[in-house]
Amino acid sequence: MKKYTIGIDSGSVMCKAALLQDGQLRLTKTCKTSWQPQKTALELAESILETQHIAKKECCIVSTGYGRERIDFADKTLTEITAHALGGMSLEPKIQGVIDIGGQDSKVIKLANHKVDTFLMNDKCAAGTGKFLEMSCATLDIPVTSIDSFLTTKEFAAINSMCAVFAESELIGLLSSGIEREKILNGVIRSIASRIVNMLGKVNAGKGDVFLMTGGLSQSQVMVNALNEVTGCKVLTHRASPFAGAIGAAISGNR
Amino acid sequence: MGNSKLPDIIESFSDARKQGFINMKNLKDSGKKVAGTFCTYTPVELFMAAGMCYVGLCSTSDETIPDAEAVLPRNLCPLIKSSYGFAITDKCPYMYFSDIVVGETTCDGKKKMYELLSEIKNVHVMQLPNSQKDASSQDLWYHEILALKDRLEKDFDVIITEDDIKLVIHQRNEERKLLRKFYELSASIPPPMTGLAQLSVLFGSQFKFSHEDKMADIQAAIDKYQSAHASGIRNVPETSKRIIITGCPMGGVTEKIVKIIEEVGGVVVAFENCTGAKQMDVLVDENAEPYRAIADRYLAIGCSVMTPDENRYELLKRLCKQFQADAIIEMTLQACHTYNIETHQVRRQAEKMKVPFFSVETDYSTSDVAQLKTRIAAFIETLES
Repeated sequence: MKKYTIGIDSGSVMCKAALLQDGQLRLTKTCKTSWQPQKTALELAESILETQHIAKKECCIVSTGYGRERIDFADKTLTEITAHALGGMSLEPKIQGVIDIGGQDSKVIKLANHKVDTFLMNDKCAAGTGKFLEMSCATLDIPVTSIDSFLTTKEFAAINSMCAVFAESELIGLLSSGIEREKILNGVIRSIASRIVNMLGKVNAGKGDVFLMTGGLSQSQVMVNALNEVTGCKVLTHRASPFAGAIGAAISGNR
Repeated sequence: MGNSKLPDIIESFSDARKQGFINMKNLKDSGKKVAGTFCTYTPVELFMAAGMCYVGLCSTSDETIPDAEAVLPRNLCPLIKSSYGFAITDKCPYMYFSDIVVGETTCDGKKKMYELLSEIKNVHVMQLPNSQKDASSQDLWYHEILALKDRLEKDFDVIITEDDIKLVIHQRNEERKLLRKFYELSASIPPPMTGLAQLSVLFGSQFKFSHEDKMADIQAAIDKYQSAHASGIRNVPETSKRIIITGCPMGGVTEKIVKIIEEVGGVVVAFENCTGAKQMDVLVDENAEPYRAIADRYLAIGCSVMTPDENRYELLKRLCKQFQADAIIEMTLQACHTYNIETHQVRRQAEKMKVPFFSVETDYSTSDVAQLKTRIAAFIETLES
């Protein structure tokens, strides 16, 4: 058992890292993955070791995420599914599952006996992921980081398209017919939430089950509220939710 | 074929297939006739009794799918599109050399594709019943077997005698028994070979065209793995999770599933699907009236095209016990309605057996390998704890 573990979650948009000391979370750090995921991951890990004065040999490094296999300095790899489950349970121990909406994929993980029971991933389609939100924000000219402050209404315009690409055309159509941007943005958020409803059904999530939201979109209260309204589950979030994968990877370092 | 250039595809074949192409050409040149088949329900004993060679035509690459999509809808099983594509482009030497192509009314897609295929090949379609245990289905299949016999005798000017059919029933039973003996080597812990190695022998054996060659090759494979294992060679780590594969036919590009499983801590110990146990599991009764025995044995094969499909669940259950499976992984092909809908039932059966189950849906491309790996690795991680 090593004193320190670092989990690196190399995502499609952001690279996240978490440092555990004696099993306790010490710090988290993030930066853009960029077009050089390996280099970014290495720099992120090294910056942590340096600033915390930790020698590499005292530390077990576990990689997860889309780019996990290319991080050759890692001692172990773990899929993001197991990582988000472990990380999620460490942030909120009494959950029945995890909902992760990331940059380019989304996943729903159902837990049983403190382990992954079933899971469903959507990594083939932009609908229901951060990518759809990003595209929509660009079309609506709203900074993606300001969506919570931008939205002052709960009214929404329904987005009917299944596909994010067709939905973009639908957005432009709604704008031309004079619908307010707030209503359209709310519609986008609900559309993402409805994809999650579909996935929750397939993993037999029960009404009232408690899920923790992880991934970048977990920091948008509007998104969390929409999930609560639309799914019938109790959806929580946590300040450290975007780091759930990195934390989970770090936890597995000492197992 | 003569002096015409061999298609590039030949380079992507395994050694057995490349050699099979060459053997095939030689066989045809020596006057042998060839039957192309598409299904485990096809009664190959009839071709053997007629002195013909038979070869599976289920294509396993996406090379010709774009050609097929000029005519077939995109939203269709990749196996059907690929096979049809190889037919219309003359890229498959087995399709090219087939003097007759025998298909069955297994699924909607195949049924309709055979209509188009019959425009360019000599096609005979057998009416496969939708159920197995009732007398009228059994009678229908019996008459379809006799109709195929008549067709072969007419098209190829042969007479199939009772002695002929009895001899080949016995020979094919011997082949099944030997193939079973081979794949049952993996019931040991750890198995003496990887799933990829097993698949290579099971899949490759289709392309050996004489009974004697087939038997010799399979026996050689058995000897090779038995002696290696006895001398302490271990090709598979003891910690590998033992996986049974089920679902749609597997081979060629869909080997990616087996490769991935074996890269992330699993080992495939048995194949329930067409390439494996499904074909070898049951013998033809050598003491019954031969055509009735053939009909009954073939109709009993468990497959999602049958309703209900109890024989598949029964075989899966037996294989799980015999091979001490840690889990079942199913591969279904896109747009395969029968298998994709049956997944729900297989999951229920697996829960009853308390065997973890996971299903992936894929096509003939290689672009989803990373996504498949994440899912399969995550599933195997759940077996670890």
